[in-house]
Amino acid sequence: MSGVVAATVAAPSALSGGANVIAVGVLLAEFGMFRQALLRDQVRLYAVQSALISVLAVVVAATRHLPDLYALAALSFALKTVIVPIVLRRMLRGIGAIGGDPRWSDIAGSHALSVASAVLIAIAVAAFGFFTVAALGLTSPVLPDTALSISVAVVLVSFVLMIVRRDVISQAIGFLSLENGVSLTALVVAAGLPLILEIAFLFDLLVAVVVFGLLIRVHHGRAESMSTAELTSLQG
Amino acid sequence: MSPTLPIPVVQLLQVVTIAAAAPGVSGVISRVEARLQGRTGPRVLQPYFDLAKLFRKEALAPIGSSWVFLAAPLGAMTCYLTVPLLIPVLTTFGLPLGYMGDILGGGFILSLASFLVAVAALDSGSPYAQLGASRAKTFGAITEPVVLFVVFTVALVTGTDLPYALAATVRSSAGQIIRPAHLLAAAALFMVILYETGRIPVETHTGTNEFGMIEEARPFEHSGPYFALLKWGSAMKQLILFTILLNVFVAPWGLAATPSLVSVLLAIAALVGKAAVLGVVVAVIDNSFAKLRLFKITEFAAGAFLLAVLGVFTLYLGGG
Repeated sequence: MSGVVAATVAAPSALSGGANVIAVGVLLAEFGMFRQALLRDQVRLYAVQSALISVLAVVVAATRHLPDLYALAALSFALKTVIVPIVLRRMLRGIGAIGGDPRWSDIAGSHALSVASAVLIAIAVAAFGFFTVAALGLTSPVLPDTALSISVAVVLVSFVLMIVRRDVISQAIGFLSLENGVSLTALVVAAGLPLILEIAFLFDLLVAVVVFGLLIRVHHGRAESMSTAELTSLQG
Repeated sequence: MSPTLPIPVVQLLQVVTIAAAAPGVSGVISRVEARLQGRTGPRVLQPYFDLAKLFRKEALAPIGSSWVFLAAPLGAMTCYLTVPLLIPVLTTFGLPLGYMGDILGGGFILSLASFLVAVAALDSGSPYAQLGASRAKTFGAITEPVVLFVVFTVALVTGTDLPYALAATVRSSAGQIIRPAHLLAAAALFMVILYETGRIPVETHTGTNEFGMIEEARPFEHSGPYFALLKWGSAMKQLILFTILLNVFVAPWGLAATPSLVSVLLAIAALVGKAAVLGVVVAVIDNSFAKLRLFKITEFAAGAFLLAVLGVFTLYLGGG
């Protein structure tokens, strides 16, 4: 009667299952950036993605007894989830929906392709990342291999994001989320990286954010739009 | 020691449960939706009264329509009565006819029903019904790959694609539930169900006449008992899909492990309760999101496809 016992694949442990779920969440946030139509939602999604990486760092710290990672998680949370979004929003104040020309107030129409096609292309690119990493046979002592493949997919998808969205905000966020993908990779392959190096990377990021904020302001001041579609000629 | 039911009776009870409870689940959803909007809303039992009323009414067919127009509701109803034999509605153990078909088999029978309704809508000659039928087929074609990838996920997890096997796997350990492949496949299936039952990101379900109609437009020309069969059928399709999501993917608990009377009755109560809870979730979604424009439905389908494909990817690499 109970002939339903099947050749089941062994379930992953709760740790690796949970870690993979968080990593998949990071990748899904990256895909979500294809669709966001409002400047502030795009920044918010980046904050969520960064928070997920901090959570993953805490999980690794707790289960692999790497106390350094607690400090890294706290610092990365403070910087990427709190400070960077605040700085971005400060610098872009007046460019967003409040004030400015309402035609360019948001980033809804900046798709070079339809969202569905962009997502399909990104799936193909992510698949490339997945399977190349699988072929390399890298293994990690702290996190499951799948998390490494996902992190590479995050990096590649963020390139696609920067290519298919023709507005400066999405391109800046795409670059910052690329850094999130790299952080995720670092967490998988080098969880024991010296703290000072990680902190140096994080403050580099802060500089990048300020530079991006300035560039966006300058671009908006000159072109009176968020779109990069008009940037077609070089100037001496 | 409670009396034991013969297996054929349990099998029959699966079909009867789905057929009898389906309008009630629709009633719960529309009641909760109305309450959330601050309206009193119809009674929970209203769909039963509607069906009883329609069965007493006269049936008319448009001039020029052929026998297909009147045969399709019966054919579709037959399909909806067949599928509950294949899926775990009440029992954890496979019933004798449960191995007639796997998940794909059940999917084919559901598509056959939808095909018959579409053909009848085309036969009616009404532009509204034809519009709905052609849209339903168009968007059905882009949600089909999602279902296929969900089935692939199930097949990779269990080594088979029998719904009973996946339910048993999910019950076996917590690790099977929090693996990303399982969560992604369940989420993708839920999005497909929202599409298939004509819920809010895709379509309004209130029966108003508008240009965005898809599923709701198809039975436009049917009347009387035939219309009742179509309405009942779509309620049954909804409960069948809910049952697949609940008893196979999300919450395969509360099913009867033995054919004893008490446990089967408990399983019926559990199924109705779980379906009502899922109905409340659907009603909350109905009230929280705006309807997508017709050409944005591809984005919804692409999202579901993304989830299903990622599920297969993570599994293929051995970590999902």
